[in-house]
Amino acid sequence: MTVSPDVEPDREKVFHTLVEVITEILPAVPADRVSGHLRLADLGADSVDRVEIVMGVLDRLGLDAPMAAFATVPDLDAMADLLTDLLTRPLADPPREGSKP
Amino acid sequence: MTDTVGIEALNVYCGTASITVPALFAARGLDPARMANLAMTARSVALPCEDPVTHAVNAARPLLAAIGPEAAARIEVLVTSTESGIDYSKSVASYVHEHLGLSPRCRVVEVKQACYAATAALQLGAGYLASGISPDAKVLVIATDVALVDQDAYYTEPAMGTGAAAVLLSTEPHVLTLDPGAFGLHSFQTLDSARPGPTFDIADSDRSLFAYLDCLSNSFRAYTERVEGADFAETFDYLAFHTPFAGMVRAAHRKMTREFAKDRLAAVDDDFAARVAPALVYPAQVGNLCSGSVYLALASLLDNGDVADGARVGLYSYGSGCAAEFFSGVADADSAAAVGRMRIREQLDARVELEFAEYGDLLPANRLCLVPDPDRRVDVDDHRAILDRYGLRRDLLLYTGTKDYGRTYEWATAGEGSNPWPTS
Repeated sequence: MTVSPDVEPDREKVFHTLVEVITEILPAVPADRVSGHLRLADLGADSVDRVEIVMGVLDRLGLDAPMAAFATVPDLDAMADLLTDLLTRPLADPPREGSKP
Repeated sequence: MTDTVGIEALNVYCGTASITVPALFAARGLDPARMANLAMTARSVALPCEDPVTHAVNAARPLLAAIGPEAAARIEVLVTSTESGIDYSKSVASYVHEHLGLSPRCRVVEVKQACYAATAALQLGAGYLASGISPDAKVLVIATDVALVDQDAYYTEPAMGTGAAAVLLSTEPHVLTLDPGAFGLHSFQTLDSARPGPTFDIADSDRSLFAYLDCLSNSFRAYTERVEGADFAETFDYLAFHTPFAGMVRAAHRKMTREFAKDRLAAVDDDFAARVAPALVYPAQVGNLCSGSVYLALASLLDNGDVADGARVGLYSYGSGCAAEFFSGVADADSAAAVGRMRIREQLDARVELEFAEYGDLLPANRLCLVPDPDRRVDVDDHRAILDRYGLRRDLLLYTGTKDYGRTYEWATAGEGSNPWPTS
């Protein structure tokens, strides 16, 4: 896969922001334990923690996106990819579950 | 046409038994660290001689006794709302109509849309009353459900309640005057939770909780488009939400504050304590009542908040699948008095606190409650020991089995305490 140089740093920043939020919500989890192939549940996050983490990272990144899109991400890498994708999409057309494509 | 429509009377029935959440966590080996986010203290437990019909009747009967037979005869519509159907064709409402002794000149129907359906029925009923086509009519909406959870439900088990909420609508809204035209809707298809058969539920917790939260934001946004100047922080003195578990409502309040009142985020905990916590007192002691949950939350806030000087209440109803509505109404001292007469706190305190072994013995039989066997006998005397320990003395309708697929019931007296409604 070819990644353009000005996109990859954004994705890294997004993942870093995700790690920051996770370690704030789950203070017992050290940052170096958070790796992309894990799910939030693997880190001990219960359903309310998962809600708080998704809300927190959307807020931190200034995104107004439906949470429903995050219900099916398989791991943290996929979550960071989705967040990066949302950041690079035009703001005027956010995907809203339930609306027609 | 009349603008003055709303809830005239409200009562709940939340069973005769309960188990504490710490006892359930300990016996199931659940992680005690997760109790804080669940924010539940107990769950109501049904007996095998109870079903959605008995729950509904046991919630509504004290309410009808309080308004008297003449007013009860004005009930022109009976709606049961349930995701615990007893038959593909025959409604829970048909049995409820019989055992409440309602007028034969009454529309009888059952509705289904998971935990939202009672609010749909309430709004449709309110529209019928507001139209004025049948002056002085009343509409009785009863949300009633049973839980099918056991150890396989993990952390959902301690959050699931059982019982019913009876909501009487009329043009004399002593409990809550609905704000006319003040509502916002949001619905879309998703498979977040469902009950595909009579003995089990399926659920995807992230899909469900995230849909609940998206729908809350979007239905409130739709509400603000109908209600000029509506403001999340300023318009509502209290908030009563559908409560899958109390910790979820706390998270929902934080999300709404972030999105609609960001300048209040520093004081979010104080705002939660002032405007939301009174509505969670009863839900935290009962568990999720499905479509009755938001009305248990409303009863909780009227008993535990202070509406004496008049208070606007924002209500949020969400049902998996999914459909959601944010709406509002006004309560006052009359509201607190009307709900107070139902003595809901005493009803909850009167429940028998089960040991885990007793609780475990009930679950297999409870899971048969909705199974359409042609013939089954349920012996009330098998559960007499629990019924006798109930802390109030009251009559209860109980389920005694099925005969040729028809459900059979009998009235019995539970408890040895005082009658909670001595004047009724």
